[in-house]
Amino acid sequence: MNRVLRVDDLHVSFDTYAGEVKAVRGVTFEVAQGEVLAIVGESGCGKSVTAQTIMKLNPMPPARIVKGEIELGDKDIVKATEKEMMSIRGKDVSMIFQDPMTCLNPTMTVGKQLTEAITHHQKLSNEDAHKEALRLLNLVKIPNPEQRSKQYPHEFSGGMRQRVMIAMALSCAPKLLIADEPTTALDVTIQAQIMDLLQEIKEKTNTAIILITHDLGVVASMADRVAVMYAGKIVEIGTAEDIFYRSSHPYTRALLRSLPTTEMDRSVRLVSIAGTPPDLLNPPVGCGFASRCDNCMKICQTELPPQFEVGQDHLSACWLQHEDCPSAKDGGEK
Amino acid sequence: MSKKTPLNLTDNNKLVELQQVSKHFRVSEGILKAVNNVNFDIYKGETLGLVGESGCGKSTLGKVLMGIYPPTHGKILYHGKKDIEIKRSTHFDYSKMAQIIFQDPYSSLDPRMTVGSIVEEGMIIHKMYDKKKRQERVYELLELVGLNREHANRFPHEFSGGQRQRIGIARALSIEPEFIVCDEPISALDVSIQSQIINLLHDLQEKLGLTYLFIAHDLNIVKYISDRIAVMYLGNIVELATSDELYNNTLHPYSQALLSAVPIPDPDKEAQKKRQILTGDVPSPINTPKGCPFAGRCPRATDICRQEKPVLEMKQGHLVSCHHVEK
Repeated sequence: MNRVLRVDDLHVSFDTYAGEVKAVRGVTFEVAQGEVLAIVGESGCGKSVTAQTIMKLNPMPPARIVKGEIELGDKDIVKATEKEMMSIRGKDVSMIFQDPMTCLNPTMTVGKQLTEAITHHQKLSNEDAHKEALRLLNLVKIPNPEQRSKQYPHEFSGGMRQRVMIAMALSCAPKLLIADEPTTALDVTIQAQIMDLLQEIKEKTNTAIILITHDLGVVASMADRVAVMYAGKIVEIGTAEDIFYRSSHPYTRALLRSLPTTEMDRSVRLVSIAGTPPDLLNPPVGCGFASRCDNCMKICQTELPPQFEVGQDHLSACWLQHEDCPSAKDGGEK
Repeated sequence: MSKKTPLNLTDNNKLVELQQVSKHFRVSEGILKAVNNVNFDIYKGETLGLVGESGCGKSTLGKVLMGIYPPTHGKILYHGKKDIEIKRSTHFDYSKMAQIIFQDPYSSLDPRMTVGSIVEEGMIIHKMYDKKKRQERVYELLELVGLNREHANRFPHEFSGGQRQRIGIARALSIEPEFIVCDEPISALDVSIQSQIINLLHDLQEKLGLTYLFIAHDLNIVKYISDRIAVMYLGNIVELATSDELYNNTLHPYSQALLSAVPIPDPDKEAQKKRQILTGDVPSPINTPKGCPFAGRCPRATDICRQEKPVLEMKQGHLVSCHHVEK
């Protein structure tokens, strides 16, 4: 496995007037070349903070890396200075965001913004950079790139803007692309176009992708591996098949069952997870999901569950998987 | 849970009748046809799903149905507790029978009002009950939607998104309406909270015999909650059928593309699925060309599609507007 990114026991906190918000509380994962890792979870679970920390995009302070390691290729991100980050961002790792309107500069033409990104990292003449920009617009399938590059972002539709964002993110052939909810703001037919494009680019360039989303449908269609986050921790990580067909953590299972499928009609009641996620100002001492979990035991409220191996490369942070737990082995069925 | 009673789609069970309803807006570039000559009925006790992409006019249609926008052409007849035509002069009477639940539970609640006064306001306006009885009703309603009576003295910012949506639902129910327009009530919520709200809406419908117009863009959820589904494109209804019929026998090319674009949370099914990807974007609803509104993106479009606008008619057991669907 050709490893691109290694995150080890990452803790990120925000110092606010109300106290320390422990947004990410010990996250460990790896991403290999050409792989799509999806990070799923509800809002506030720490998935976006994790991604932003990899690029050090969150303002520090208030954000603070409490401990942990982030290794991108051979570079240590945690120790990197802002100046070093300037050359890492865009070149080694780049990101596309949820809202393509607020991420493009409304006062610059699309072509100008693209060439700016290119000349920042590569020594190219203006003419060559412009050619490169057109090649990228072609790659993301924007019709009439020559003409389109002279237009401003407001002249593009939502889907087209997201394509421009992808072109910009790819401009220096990064090893890792972080897509933070890339299709959430788009309509389903446009979402299908963008996902198709991402898939194609991944196959063409062999870029690793971290896909951050809350839509399990998007995950199923793209991801090779899936990490499920809850209350600042990864509760389960495994291949897409592991997560969708052999999920072992009660949160993952409840999440999957709370989605209506097209075969269901209203005679089947949706499973709902009662309650709301815990407040990360005062995270619970035990398992974060304990208060909403149907299988909660005494130990869940007092001690953090470690990651138990439930299959090859399939980890689940739940005390039900402990060998002393009587129901450990029948946990797999739905 | 009990199976739902079969739909009664007879004429005397109609609740809302839309007759050639259009809503046009005058903008600087011309006329924006947000809703264009729409004809359909909503029956008592059903949930009618209304789906389409952003900008297709589904929310405008919801607002026209609420009497918030008067229609530019056509009329809407309402056969509830009172028989009325929905228009400006009848708006007060109508608002006692129909209510709306909004998409954004953050901006649709007044931050300076307590939850109790938010829920009570409608009853005051419609002069329902005396002060003491109203207070009791507020408590009753809060408990009905799964909140506590202690919540009545708090302010909206103290609640999470799902709880706020419950407050919005309690407010809509406060004046005992028969018809509720749900304008994307769950799209701002997290997955695990969405199912709570859907179950709540479903229970309330059974308990109170409500009729819903459920506007959404998440097709899996619409399929689950609706009895019938209307698919909208560029201000026009292109297909209308019962939800099983629409999913199993999709006729309109746009509905087909829309359904195939929805990702299914199941990797094997996703891998097998043949996705029909539409090229291009939804065209602007300003100064639309004549002919079929979908012709520009349709893989089956021919000359007739560009010349003549198809009408919504009964073909193969459900309503569809397409030249290329056989009768």
